[in-house]
Amino acid sequence: MKGVCATENRGTKEIGSEELVGWDAVTQGVVIHSFEGDAANIASLKQEERCYSEFSSYTATVASWRVVKPVYNRDICIDCQNCWVWCPDTSIISRDKQMLGIDYDHCKGCSVCVEVCPTNPKSLLMFAEHDEIEKALESWPQKEKKD
Amino acid sequence: MAITSIKNLKEFSTANERFEGAHLLCPGCAHSMIVRELMNCSDDNLVIATNTGCLEVSTAVYPYTAWDTSWIHIGFENAATAAAGAEAMYKARKRKGTLKNPDAPVKFVAFGGDGSTYDIGFQWLSGAVERGHDFTYICLDNEVYANTGGQRSSSTPIGSSTTTSPAGRVSYGEKKMKKDMVSIMAANGAHYVAQLAPNKWKIMAKGFQKALAIEGPCFINTVSACTTEWKFDPKDTVHIMDLATDSLVFPLYEIVDGYELNILYRPKNVIPVKDYLGAQGRFKHLFKPENKHVLDEWQKRVDASWERLQRREEARV
Repeated sequence: MKGVCATENRGTKEIGSEELVGWDAVTQGVVIHSFEGDAANIASLKQEERCYSEFSSYTATVASWRVVKPVYNRDICIDCQNCWVWCPDTSIISRDKQMLGIDYDHCKGCSVCVEVCPTNPKSLLMFAEHDEIEKALESWPQKEKKD
Repeated sequence: MAITSIKNLKEFSTANERFEGAHLLCPGCAHSMIVRELMNCSDDNLVIATNTGCLEVSTAVYPYTAWDTSWIHIGFENAATAAAGAEAMYKARKRKGTLKNPDAPVKFVAFGGDGSTYDIGFQWLSGAVERGHDFTYICLDNEVYANTGGQRSSSTPIGSSTTTSPAGRVSYGEKKMKKDMVSIMAANGAHYVAQLAPNKWKIMAKGFQKALAIEGPCFINTVSACTTEWKFDPKDTVHIMDLATDSLVFPLYEIVDGYELNILYRPKNVIPVKDYLGAQGRFKHLFKPENKHVLDEWQKRVDASWERLQRREEARV
């Protein structure tokens, strides 16, 4: 029985040979490590202080999923962190109680952050993926008057 | 180690993320809101087991993992068993003194979808709770087998159109009631059971911290709106869950030690159930005149269950 199994260094290796291999000789799964070295105090480190390995999806990107992107306007933001708590893709970068911006490598463009933004006008708005951020900020809507 | 403060959102937002982006869950999926919140509200080392389901297949696509903690996946049914096994081994090694870092606080958590909790993993979960392992089981309840294409589960509510209970000329969709898993687990002997929703982040974070702190088995049922199978726009995920909690379709409550029921959220304005149903494509057919009786049945059931919860809260039995 011949087969291919995954190895820890992202490759594959051929297992078995012409003769039969027992079930106990086949690798059942693979352990992958999110970090290089010791990961004991990871909860006390910010993302940028960590030493991610190439297996962590932090090093991957889903930017190609997007057709629309959120644009962030610092001038209107009140740092309420609603977008941070409800972002499904860990794409709102908040440090020291301040909203810093959007992680465009991991954002899928679902618009949840725009929906939960409480300011008037919203400090996050969706624009087409190809729009330039400077132009988007220039075309920001004015405050809506309540009737 | 200190537990992250959840007094207000600003303080909560200083938590260090341990669930990374670039997982492959759908845009606007509520699963990752729940998982992120659990991992942000604790600083302890977490050992997490996950049943097969959307969460598992999307967060560990080789060669990537979205998890920054110890994470185990084995089968469709046995997250509870995996967490229980890890916990038993941890206790045994602690007793024997063979742990590398015996003082580090460790918590055991299992995640399962509603299919693997209500149906397939029910026996395993029941056994692990009965044996009294110190772990927290969190069910991500999206009321359908979303990962395999939207088949009904025993959590699917009446009237919902799924691929195995489609609505059409002869049927109004799923015919059976949703199973009351929270009461079942309370009766099963879980020390703490709760029903929580990610749109009420503070109630949910408090519930998670309570469950992690309690020694013994805990069960938490969380509402997880599914953009694909509930058929709504991804941007409305939080809004749909707001409708669910405000219409009391998903009342938020906890049961401590099997009898002490506390209602955690009382909506100021209770909205009619049809507002919640009307916002989702899976209930679209219920608004045809011939299906009016299902809508009335829905409202009646929700009112009755809210009445029952309030009475139980008063009676403390």
